[in-house]
Amino acid sequence: MSEALLRALKRISRVRGVRGSMWVSAEDGITVADLLMEGVRGRAIAALAASLARKVSGAAAATGSGKVRFVQLEAEEGTLLVAVAPGDLLIVALADRRVNVGLLRLEMMRAAEAAAA
Amino acid sequence: MRDDISRLSETLAREPSSLAYAELAELLRRRGQLDEALQVVLQGLTRNPMHADGHDVLARIYADQGDLERARLAWSKALEIAPDHGGALKGIAFLLFRQGDARGAVAALDQVLTVNPADEPARRALETMQAAEQRVSAAARPPAAMEMPEPPRPDASGRRPGIFQGFDGATDDILLLDQRGLIVAGGVTGGGGADVSELAAAALAGVSGEASRAGEYIGLGAWRTIMAEADTANLVVAPVGERALVLVRRDRSTPIGLALRFAERARDVALAWLEGKGA
Repeated sequence: MSEALLRALKRISRVRGVRGSMWVSAEDGITVADLLMEGVRGRAIAALAASLARKVSGAAAATGSGKVRFVQLEAEEGTLLVAVAPGDLLIVALADRRVNVGLLRLEMMRAAEAAAA
Repeated sequence: MRDDISRLSETLAREPSSLAYAELAELLRRRGQLDEALQVVLQGLTRNPMHADGHDVLARIYADQGDLERARLAWSKALEIAPDHGGALKGIAFLLFRQGDARGAVAALDQVLTVNPADEPARRALETMQAAEQRVSAAARPPAAMEMPEPPRPDASGRRPGIFQGFDGATDDILLLDQRGLIVAGGVTGGGGADVSELAAAALAGVSGEASRAGEYIGLGAWRTIMAEADTANLVVAPVGERALVLVRRDRSTPIGLALRFAERARDVALAWLEGKGA
């Protein structure tokens, strides 16, 4: 696993409430690197994140809204966040309800920008 | 719904040949438990291979899974058994519409309404598809010398219910669709004011079932909203009951939290309207 990718995941996982973070291939939903708490179902999360990003990107393209940069699925027990990074990669985080979404979003966007550099 | 599932499961355990399998599979499908639904319906059809309702449910499960070819085969089988089966006719109409054959879809829905004139969901779908067919026909017609038609505007024509009246962007930025990607009300326009509702709805087909299934599986529970930040707009998608979605688009200058509140209001209005329609 690339050190840079892992460092980014460690920073994201330090945000309170985060249960796991991953780099995922946007094309096929395959995990590239992950840092997950015990019991977190990484493969299912990666597949959902990629599919979600693809579908909302389709809706954004259809409505002339441009390229999607960030997606958040909010649910009863937590939230799934996806930041679109260059190189066909997604940064994905799974968090519980306590999470500061604004802070987590900042960390994820920072990681996406770092991946572009 | 959970009680119904238990009751139907018990019925099936007592009478394995019971036709209750179709209802049970449909309930599981609506809950997003597609694998379980598929298992139930396939077992049921093994014992009742000429049960049109079973083939109809099987097709819906395949459609939810995105396997449209298998869905077509299953709906065709249902129609072989029962040529006027409303669910199968609507399913075939949905597939034809997805393939761009609005005329074929309208014919299928006409048949549904001939058999059951009180089928309101079919009537609404027919209105949507007739509007699409008229646009296609107009586009295919050679333009008259002085003819300069206006771009299609859903509520201006009255073809789609204007249920979001009073909302900013009621006909341009708010779209109510069903989980299969069919438009129910409202509309979204793209560059130049062109109606892109069908494209946007098609892109979001299946997102609700997927979010429900995966959300439960990964421990997130029921999903509430999907928010997307794009270059020029924020998009918010929210479930409306079990079988519909609302898509709201707001300019990027609108804070995402405000866009979310706006979407929640639109969802409440849509829910009340659907309940009023008995949908």
